[in-house]
Amino acid sequence: MLLIHCPYCVDTLPELEFAYAGEAHIARPANPMSQSDEEWRDFLFIRSNPRGLHAERWRHIHGCGRFFNALRDTVSDKFSVTYKAGRPRPDLEKAVQVPK
Amino acid sequence: MNAPVKSFAAVSVAVLPPVARLNLRIAPADLDTASATFGLPLPGKIGQGQAKGDRAAWCLGPDEWLLHAPEVEQAAIVADFAAVRALTPHSLTVISDREFTIAITGPSAQELLSVACPLDLLRMAPGTAKRTLFDSAQVVLIRDSDDAFRIEVWRSFFPHVSELLDIALREFACGL
Amino acid sequence: MSPLRVQAGGLGADQIQQIQLGGKMSDLRISSRGRVDHARPVRFSFDGKSYEGRQGDTVASALLANGVHLVGRSFKYHRPRGIVTAGSEEPNALIGTSRGPGQFEPNTRATMQEVYDGLTTESQNKWPSLKFDVGAINDRLYMLFSAGFYYKTFMWPKSFWDKVYEPFIRRAAGLGRSPTELDPDHYASRYLHCDVLIVGSGPAGLAAALTSARTGASVVVVDEQSEMGGTLLSEPSPMIEDKSAWVWLASALDELAGLPNVRLMNRTTAIGYYHQNMVGLCQKLTDHLSEVPADAPRERLWRVRAGQVILAQGAIERPMVFDGNDRPGVMMAGAAQTFLNRFGVKVGDRPVILTSHDSAWHTAFDLADAGCKVAAIVDTRTDIPPALMQAAMSRQIEVLTGHTATATGGRSRVKSIRVNPVRGGTVGTARTISCDAVLMCGGWTPSLHLFSHTKGSLEWDAKAKAYLPGHKTEAVHIAGAGRGLWGIAAALEDGAKAGADALRDLGRKAGPATYAVTGDRTGTGITQKELPTDRNPSSARAFVDFQNDVTAKDIRLAVREGMRSIEHVKRYTTNGMATDQGKLSNMNGLTIASDALGKDIPQVGLTTFRPPYTPTTFGALAGYHKGSHFEVTRKTPIDSWATENGAAFEPVALWRRAWYFPKSGEDMHKAVSRECRATRASLGIFDASTLGKIEVSGPDAVEFMNRMYTNPWAKLSPGKCRYGLLLGEDGFIRDDGVIGRIRDDLFHVTTTTGGAARVLNMMEDYLQTEWPDLQVWLTSTTEEWATIAINGPNARKLLAPLVERQDMSDAAFPHMSVAECTVAGFPSRLFRISFTGELGFEVNVPARHGRALWEKLMAAGKPYDICPYGTETMHVLRAEKGYIIIGQDTDGTVTPEDAGIGWAIGKSKPDFVGKRSLARPDIVAKGRKQLVGLLTENPKDVLVEGAQIVLDPKQAKPMKMIGHVTSAYWSEALGRSIAMAVVEGGFDRMGDTLHIPTADGGSQAAKVTGCVFYDPAGDRLKVE
Repeated sequence: MLLIHCPYCVDTLPELEFAYAGEAHIARPANPMSQSDEEWRDFLFIRSNPRGLHAERWRHIHGCGRFFNALRDTVSDKFSVTYKAGRPRPDLEKAVQVPK
Repeated sequence: MNAPVKSFAAVSVAVLPPVARLNLRIAPADLDTASATFGLPLPGKIGQGQAKGDRAAWCLGPDEWLLHAPEVEQAAIVADFAAVRALTPHSLTVISDREFTIAITGPSAQELLSVACPLDLLRMAPGTAKRTLFDSAQVVLIRDSDDAFRIEVWRSFFPHVSELLDIALREFACGL
Repeated sequence: MSPLRVQAGGLGADQIQQIQLGGKMSDLRISSRGRVDHARPVRFSFDGKSYEGRQGDTVASALLANGVHLVGRSFKYHRPRGIVTAGSEEPNALIGTSRGPGQFEPNTRATMQEVYDGLTTESQNKWPSLKFDVGAINDRLYMLFSAGFYYKTFMWPKSFWDKVYEPFIRRAAGLGRSPTELDPDHYASRYLHCDVLIVGSGPAGLAAALTSARTGASVVVVDEQSEMGGTLLSEPSPMIEDKSAWVWLASALDELAGLPNVRLMNRTTAIGYYHQNMVGLCQKLTDHLSEVPADAPRERLWRVRAGQVILAQGAIERPMVFDGNDRPGVMMAGAAQTFLNRFGVKVGDRPVILTSHDSAWHTAFDLADAGCKVAAIVDTRTDIPPALMQAAMSRQIEVLTGHTATATGGRSRVKSIRVNPVRGGTVGTARTISCDAVLMCGGWTPSLHLFSHTKGSLEWDAKAKAYLPGHKTEAVHIAGAGRGLWGIAAALEDGAKAGADALRDLGRKAGPATYAVTGDRTGTGITQKELPTDRNPSSARAFVDFQNDVTAKDIRLAVREGMRSIEHVKRYTTNGMATDQGKLSNMNGLTIASDALGKDIPQVGLTTFRPPYTPTTFGALAGYHKGSHFEVTRKTPIDSWATENGAAFEPVALWRRAWYFPKSGEDMHKAVSRECRATRASLGIFDASTLGKIEVSGPDAVEFMNRMYTNPWAKLSPGKCRYGLLLGEDGFIRDDGVIGRIRDDLFHVTTTTGGAARVLNMMEDYLQTEWPDLQVWLTSTTEEWATIAINGPNARKLLAPLVERQDMSDAAFPHMSVAECTVAGFPSRLFRISFTGELGFEVNVPARHGRALWEKLMAAGKPYDICPYGTETMHVLRAEKGYIIIGQDTDGTVTPEDAGIGWAIGKSKPDFVGKRSLARPDIVAKGRKQLVGLLTENPKDVLVEGAQIVLDPKQAKPMKMIGHVTSAYWSEALGRSIAMAVVEGGFDRMGDTLHIPTADGGSQAAKVTGCVFYDPAGDRLKVE
């Protein structure tokens, strides 16, 4: 069971208090009705599914209730960093060594 | 940590009488207005609590506070907040009946909670509160002192939590 | 062939020998040795026979003290098997234990189960008896069962599968028998947080614990054994700090036990090592007790979160692979040493040592010193340390260096060993040595299973001939034999260093710790593949995996048949796949496979260890979640009234809801029909408290509602309510409910019972992450309110006299109104809505008043024959009106148009969640499944919910299915059955006859209709 740092509580807490909420940084288009079928399909269904660092959303659902973002390694499962919703994705690719 | 718990005397569990319980949601920038309205300085950091007389407040989220007051004051508190709502938008929702409060007290209170509370309670200071899980029930856990905790649990989850505490009490009493 | 004529197992002479050995029990038990309490005899039974053990014995040590080596039959060949080890790695001595009704446990390791007065045990995998076993015929047919036999043997003919092969595989695949009764035991769980968790309490673990604990850090030490000490328990002779090993051990444990920051946990196995230093522990609390205190849990699962973990789990001795190495009496040398020194039991009077490592020589010396006649030390090496040679000579033990073992004799107990010299790779002339035990040592394997759980890498160390810890992924330190270090001094030093390293990583500083050790028995050795033989190796039964009956030949066959990866070899042969996870067999299997492949060991690689470290009961994993506590059962404030009044209940999400209220003599059908009639005729009352409720509050509440729900909200004035429909962004229906506007800036949203948490989460998601600019706050009030629905033509007559602060006339409070008022004196939010098609109201009061209000309404409703009804009647009444149930009539692929509720969409709104998707190509395409009504040709036929629908019931199978029945009931109001269904192009099939095949091979015909079966004009809502 992971420990997750909630950027709102500024505390590292058991995974049980948190819920996963899909890939991060996929903003709902400002005007969905102007989207082509292909654009809307991509927004709804197409995800990056990387091996390695993945920007994803979590919610501290049984805690402060906030949604936030995280970079997590899909190989090791481990979190590299968590950050508040609305903040840009930190540039960790160069800094973080992904273990084999 | 080696001292085994030998008897019920080391910890007791009780259901507390009803209290006026309110959920306040307000922008942190408007906290002063809320503090003035409720009559105590609302804490600004998640987890922190503040008490004055028989009123108390704990910050549960970036814009969320749990307020406690005597039942007889509930209507007045609702009216006081309603009076400032037009100028200071917020949400004040009565949740007095949504939850029950269970008190867990005694030298083994912390260990009793560890049957189903995943938090490291050594890191939880007296006077603080946090929303968390107790077994599979969401609760608000309040620490009043080293040896005294309260669990606020939704009404329909209360039997589950309370029965689990009963099982744990019997387990502690048997000494194994 | 008559079973009685099958020659298998030990009969005759062996049986006599067994009895004789049993008679020599006192000779095998040495009262001057061991840590058992020789003054406290304990009686237990094995296979119906009573035996005496000593307090502190395991079943294994007690049986050995009684001369019993044969304790089970092997899995595949049913070969007689004996005790091989003295620990949890035991592959053979698996027994069934009975502690009482429902308390039977199969596959208990006899080497771990402590004896107590009254313990009942039995052997496994035998029929009709352990000594005479019919299944041992498999041993004669062993050619059938070689590597990959599952894949080869059970190929054909196809018709054999059901009747022959599958029953055979099922019977053969189990170890022991499953208990059939409910487990009456309690199981417990606990969370624990500490600075340092130390797994293993041998010299390395204890040194780490002392170093850590002395700084005040919180320290937890766990050991799977009944007492702490690890190898020290088997090694009493060395001196530590001028104290004998056991005196030092006692003082170390005393010191630790006296520290308030230390928790010592014996009988506790670290079963798994999970992310971020969470370690699962299973603590056995009562399996060693003859009298179990009331309410005592049998086991407790601990979830430990440790700042630092120190693994000091030692090493596991490796067997020698040679023909007949599985004969009872052939066992690990280290185990024999443990039985002698810890339990005071000689495993035999005339043992032979077979080794490639120095450690077994010390076993020989200890046994000789205890009065055994050690027949020989057979070492595969030629280069033996002179000190060992001298020590053997001084004890007059014959030493055979550079020798191999090529067979053992005896049936249910080893009687001899055949050994041959090996010179220049050639196996010389055999010689047979008679003996009653063969004690083998093929080197030692560091116990790194838990480290392996963390995905820490294991790297081959050519010098230690072992895999040692490499790259770490967790805050973990490995100490002692786990790092390939041998001897007590090295373990103590390394443990102290690991403790200091762990403290350093915690930001603490440890004091220095050094330990002076004399009489330490350090040593080295070599590891090897199966021993060379002068016989035909293809007929050798040289076992690698005792529990799964895998031989060296099987592994070589797997390689010959094309298996290249060790993972394939493992699966093809099942080597290491038994319940011991290859603790004894993995390294031998790997060594032989790498030899067969002509590659170095590190090039072949390792298989992965996974939790649990040792088999763990389901009870421990379930913990408190059993019986009525299996899962949360949510109950409404009115549940107690329903219970007292005989309600039948059904689960809905985590809730239990009153299903129907049978009167005496009524079945469900009769009760529901009566409830339906009463409600439509006069008055029904229903507990709707489980409906989700969300307070949506703030200046932007109406904008938020407009964006979330399909319906338009701007023009809904306070005091009015409306049916709300919620879609996912994909356009499919997610939830629905009536939503009342209490104030301009406050909505009372209701959701489905099961959807409450999901809807709130979805709303929070949009609010926090898409529209953080909106000033809106959401609060769940599901449990703040008890909700009582009143339906029927007399609903107003019942309520009006009880309501204050609200005019209840139709003009002042029309259908789809909401008001804050009092009902029967209780503050209330009162809705005029209907989910039945009758005049209806829903009264919300603070939950504590729920039951009181219910009782007042029941009393006031007497003149109208008020009838409490449950969820089944609610379902019938709503279906008669064609109202959908989310999750029953919809399944996550149904759009509003599909469900026939396109009217709920605010078409002029520029946007709402899911709007864009309603124009997706697949959603506007023809032929979508649409929700329609079905009326069966035979009005008495009630269709089965979930039944598939076809156009032509006579078509060949598999039939083309065009939809399924979603709801089906007997309608009392219509005097016939009704149903709803989703059907391809359903709206264009009105009046068509469709067919619903039934399980008995027949089919039912039904006509497609609209969904509103009752009062289509809605006149009944308008009762003045």
